[in-house]
Amino acid sequence: MNIEIEKYNNYQVVKLYGEVDLSNSRKIKLEIIKLIKSKNNIIVDFTDLQYIDSSGMASLVEAFNESKENNTEFHIVDANGSPLQVLQLTRLNTVFNLADSIETVSING
Amino acid sequence: MVYLFKSVTKLGEAARQHIDNLGLATLFLLRIVSSLFTGLVSFKQVIKQIYFIGNRSLVVIIVAALFTGMVVALQFYDTLVRFGSVDLLGSAVALSLIKELGPVMTALMLIARVGSATCSEIGIMRNEQQFDALDCMAINSYRYVMLPRLLAALICVPILTGVFDLVGIGGGYIVGIYIQGGSPGAYIQGVMDTISFKDVLVGQIKSLVFGLLIMWIPLFYGFYLHLNQKNMGAEGVSNGTTQAVVMSAIIMLFSDYIISSLAL
Amino acid sequence: MAKPIITVENLFAQYGDTLVLKDVNLTVNKGEILVIMGGSGSGKSTLLNHMLGLKTPTSGTIMIDDVDVFTAKNRELRNLRKKMGVAFQGGALLSSLTVANNVKLPLEQNTSLDKQTIDIMVRMKLELMNMAGTGHLMPTELSGGMLKRAGLARAVVMDPKLLFFDEPSAGLDPTTAVELDELILTLRDAMNMTIVVVTHELESVFKIADRVVVLFAGEVVANGSVDEIKNSPDERVQNMINRKPNTHRDDGEVYFNRLLDKGGN
Repeated sequence: MNIEIEKYNNYQVVKLYGEVDLSNSRKIKLEIIKLIKSKNNIIVDFTDLQYIDSSGMASLVEAFNESKENNTEFHIVDANGSPLQVLQLTRLNTVFNLADSIETVSING
Repeated sequence: MVYLFKSVTKLGEAARQHIDNLGLATLFLLRIVSSLFTGLVSFKQVIKQIYFIGNRSLVVIIVAALFTGMVVALQFYDTLVRFGSVDLLGSAVALSLIKELGPVMTALMLIARVGSATCSEIGIMRNEQQFDALDCMAINSYRYVMLPRLLAALICVPILTGVFDLVGIGGGYIVGIYIQGGSPGAYIQGVMDTISFKDVLVGQIKSLVFGLLIMWIPLFYGFYLHLNQKNMGAEGVSNGTTQAVVMSAIIMLFSDYIISSLAL
Repeated sequence: MAKPIITVENLFAQYGDTLVLKDVNLTVNKGEILVIMGGSGSGKSTLLNHMLGLKTPTSGTIMIDDVDVFTAKNRELRNLRKKMGVAFQGGALLSSLTVANNVKLPLEQNTSLDKQTIDIMVRMKLELMNMAGTGHLMPTELSGGMLKRAGLARAVVMDPKLLFFDEPSAGLDPTTAVELDELILTLRDAMNMTIVVVTHELESVFKIADRVVVLFAGEVVANGSVDEIKNSPDERVQNMINRKPNTHRDDGEVYFNRLLDKGGN
């Protein structure tokens, strides 16, 4: 699957690879929500993400909502290329906490 | 002389057109039926269509049944009284309704209310490229649009026919007892004694067949509206609907005869 | 040069006695915007219908994403269509469903996404089309422009690889038409979509096209970049660009006879 989860300080870093689309967005969503329900703070790493479609974006919106309900943190880092354009096109860049890197998030607490 | 030849040509052309249509319509029906096997038909859609049919026709059917029953009773009474067999009124009314008038009148009411509305609806969908859109979305129009309507008709028409029969018999009762002063006991007894299971079965089989016809034909005319060049636009929908209604009625009456003669 | 994603080869289409498309050949490359331009009766809508597999030709082939549109098996064609979005001229929304349920339809029928996810996706697309909050409306309650935008929202809700537009600017006011052009360009850039637009609106054509195919009476009379089209030696193309009518005027005698219907029409 296009996903790798690693611990970094008090965050779970969910690294997305390649493409997130109809074929895998739901599974990825369920993984992330599982982590959130266990009260984990999440950083979604977009560094190696080449493409994400609306189902992927919607899944992240759901996950973000879940994190609000669970009072945990939810960040997206290093959005670039096509995924960044999609975030801008859908204006989700105003909704999510976008940061440049994992370190930036960690420092800003 | 030339006029005669032209008329014959036109007749031949019309006949050929109808045979073409018959083939296409049969293919159309087969596609609808086979779509049953391509996936689950939407239960919600079928219910929605049942509501649509019932909502449009229940009141009309009840009113029509009442007056039909009353007229039939009136006519029979007039005849029976000459033979001193007024006690047979109940049987006579019930038999005519259950075997013939119930299925046929119900079908005619439904052709007028549901058949025309359906043909218009489907015709407008065709005009507005809604079926093209469904095709391009990889959605099976036969399963999504046609099948629920057909199933709803097969469910509703026998039920509505039953309602027609009961209300009609009731109407006959009103005439026979309250207007003509006949015996209630004799009327009801007549109904119970004469009606056999076979009579009811024939009536219900007719209503099933009619149910199929009065939905299939309007769906067909609406769906293939665009094949007739003259049928584009609002006028086209109107034309197609008229054709559908007339054709439904004629074919329904024809099959009524076939089933009646087979049942005897 | 990568293989084109759409190839139309030797397409002929005949209705009754008229040849509506004559030996049409064209290609569309992945990620580009191709505009098919022509006046009324040029055959451009018919060409689009053939590309969508809605009509079968008298002869010729159309390959889309390695699928032969006319000979593909049902399943293959269905899978191809799930990657294609079509924005029809009047929106072609289903009249019995609300706007939201219309936009939802491809997702409900073709994916196994959760209801919540689908609802969010629908709202995202409606927001994109400036139709926020209209989800509950029925198609009959929408203006022409809104119908088009709802139809477009539905066309892009599955993030298709290929997007087809049938006369996108027809019936739109100039401001909305410009917005739509911008949206088409953004869809190509942000979503890597390959887009085919059938239109006769010149301004749109010059603004959005990567390449243009010009149709006249069923034939391709020009095929190339916007500059190549502008410099086309073909008189008909030049007339179209300069908005001069393409009908040729008969001499006075013929015209006189026609006015008095002397030809026995």
